[in-house]
Amino acid sequence: MWRVLLAKDLRRTWRNPLPVLINLALPLCVAGLVGLAFGGKSDGGALGRIRFALVDEDKTLLSDVLRGSANQREGGKYLEPVLLERDEALRQINDNQISAVLVIPTNFTRHYFSGREPVSLELIKNPAQSIHPAVMEELLGALVTAMNAVSRNLQSEFPDWQAVLEGKRDYKQIAGLIERAGDKLKQAERFINPPLVVYEKESAVDPERQEVASGTVRPGETRKRSPGAEVFGFLLPGMAGMFLLFIASNAMTDLPRELRQRTLARYHTLHHQLAPFIAGKVVFAMVVLLLCSVILLGGGGLLFGIDWRSPGPLALLSVGYAGFAAGLMAVLVALIPDERKASALNTVVAMGLALAGGCMFPPQALPAFLGKHITPLLPTHWFVDTARNLQAGGGEAAWVLALVKLLAVSVVLLGLAALWFRRHLRTGVRT
Amino acid sequence: MSLLRVQGLFKAFAAIRAVDSVSFEVRPGEVYGLLGPNGAGKTTTISMISGLLKPDAGEVVVAGTPFWSDPQKAKRIMGVVPQELAIYEELTGRENLEFWGRMAGLSSGDAKSRATELLEALTLTDRAKDVVKTYSGGMKRRINLGCALLHRPQLLLLDEPTVGIDPQARLNILEFIRSLRASGTAILYTTHYLEEAETLCHRIGIIDHGRLLAEGTLKELQERLGGDRLFVLEADLKEAAPESWDGFLSRFRVIQKTERQLVVSALGARDPSECLKDLLGLPVRVENVTLKRPSLNDVFLQLTGRELRE
Repeated sequence: MWRVLLAKDLRRTWRNPLPVLINLALPLCVAGLVGLAFGGKSDGGALGRIRFALVDEDKTLLSDVLRGSANQREGGKYLEPVLLERDEALRQINDNQISAVLVIPTNFTRHYFSGREPVSLELIKNPAQSIHPAVMEELLGALVTAMNAVSRNLQSEFPDWQAVLEGKRDYKQIAGLIERAGDKLKQAERFINPPLVVYEKESAVDPERQEVASGTVRPGETRKRSPGAEVFGFLLPGMAGMFLLFIASNAMTDLPRELRQRTLARYHTLHHQLAPFIAGKVVFAMVVLLLCSVILLGGGGLLFGIDWRSPGPLALLSVGYAGFAAGLMAVLVALIPDERKASALNTVVAMGLALAGGCMFPPQALPAFLGKHITPLLPTHWFVDTARNLQAGGGEAAWVLALVKLLAVSVVLLGLAALWFRRHLRTGVRT
Repeated sequence: MSLLRVQGLFKAFAAIRAVDSVSFEVRPGEVYGLLGPNGAGKTTTISMISGLLKPDAGEVVVAGTPFWSDPQKAKRIMGVVPQELAIYEELTGRENLEFWGRMAGLSSGDAKSRATELLEALTLTDRAKDVVKTYSGGMKRRINLGCALLHRPQLLLLDEPTVGIDPQARLNILEFIRSLRASGTAILYTTHYLEEAETLCHRIGIIDHGRLLAEGTLKELQERLGGDRLFVLEADLKEAAPESWDGFLSRFRVIQKTERQLVVSALGARDPSECLKDLLGLPVRVENVTLKRPSLNDVFLQLTGRELRE
């Protein structure tokens, strides 16, 4: 009989999928938007290569060196300079084809080496972009600092260097110039290396790096993982944790809906007890939740390029969470058999649990009392925190405990729901 | 032997006596009509008979077995058609029938073949694959009726099955119910439509304010009025007091009296022309006198003092 009841409910959901689709689309959209705002991308790089225009109005050897160094070695991984005239560069920035324009002005080299007056580089940022122009500004700041440092230390050599750049020195003079510059840099080394002030940053151990370090996996064999995917890997379990509660609410409020539409009363005029019908609705909610979990975490993973580190434990956690969500909503529906009231209460409870459980914000960002004393007690937190830890490479032992706790809570909630349903329906299903 | 016997059924909601000591029985192949206005207690009575409500007092006996001693057994031979459309609008007509057939205990194959039969009988075969929400009101009512018939119930409880539909759709449903009656199904039929009760039911129980005021065949109920014809006298009756007219109440029974109209039936086997002459001699200025056959509305009028249509 449960198979017939389940088939009926799934068919009805299939014919009216909007509520479920909304609750599936929203978390994916929110995760996508927030992830992209934090620079997450699924193309293998956190930021991608920054395309910018270089306008060389100086046209000297030094400007050639600056121009060429922008896309060499490490710079080439992140920077994609294109050499343009000013007008064309401005046209492209207006068309949002490039992130910034760096102008090396006329006489830049001459003034830099002569030291007679301050020199400047011109940076024009694309106002339609946020991250890439800012990065360009930071990079240019670093370049200017370095050029200032060189200028202050090698000022006395600059006339000779300028002569070299103008081709007025032979190779012997150039060799002497390089030697003197090397001596000065040697003297400066004690101020640079080791640095006088350092800072340390702790971070979770990357198991892949451990694998590489231990020799079990060669560097070339490491799994390809997008740095951006880590943002999505953090966001998606939280969004799933919240919206699965809404989906559970929608599935379980189908029971008061059937009470209102009198189909439950009609069922009760048949020779069956009410319990299978109610249990069938819980089974329906569980099935819908599991399907939605697969779509949210599996489909979302594919969409955002997330490589789930522990898919097995994550799947089992999702089963436990589906049980909890269905049980919680069954209790609320049993307490308030009115469809509208139940729906409103379910939404409030789901939002509260999601917020306090850390689905939307990291628990560290929650008020201290809440984060310290309430959040750890919430099943939403058990699911989301464990899923995030699994993705961060930890929580191998903790997920079993979280799963057991989720399943235990599910059993208790379903038991309570059964008791309350029995009390409510003791005098019949007519309302 | 009756298939359904209701004895002293009583249900109160707080101070309101929704059903008060109602007793009747329904035999196989019989349509028993429970006629009364909205709020008379018809639906509450059916809810108690079908197990949706527990009666505060009284007994429901189905096929010789008290309902509450074995509700599941009683429900197996019952089919209930609720007044509301208790069907799934997202499913097709066929899917609804098959689902309720499976719920009634039929195998998948039996449910399919029975659904096909019913779709044909209800003239819905061409719309069988359409979802119910695209159906007209009459078609939904027919599916609502069909969903109770999958398991061929011996006792059918119909709670106002034609409410809110057009006359043609109503005729279709009434015709279908007549065919069920002919096949030996015992039918309890609640309605507030006089015509339905008069044309469909073998016996009729008139219910108002939770009490069964009278029951019997249409003829028996008409005879309660004292004959097969009524006299409707139109006059200025503001000041009139029939009880003061000499011997009037020994010759006529007053069914209704308003400021403009007096409805009476003749007592005893009297000739109509003699009665007319008698009425024209009353001490009021008579404007018009007409003769008519008594209807259920007149019976209801006589029992409650108000018209069923009010």
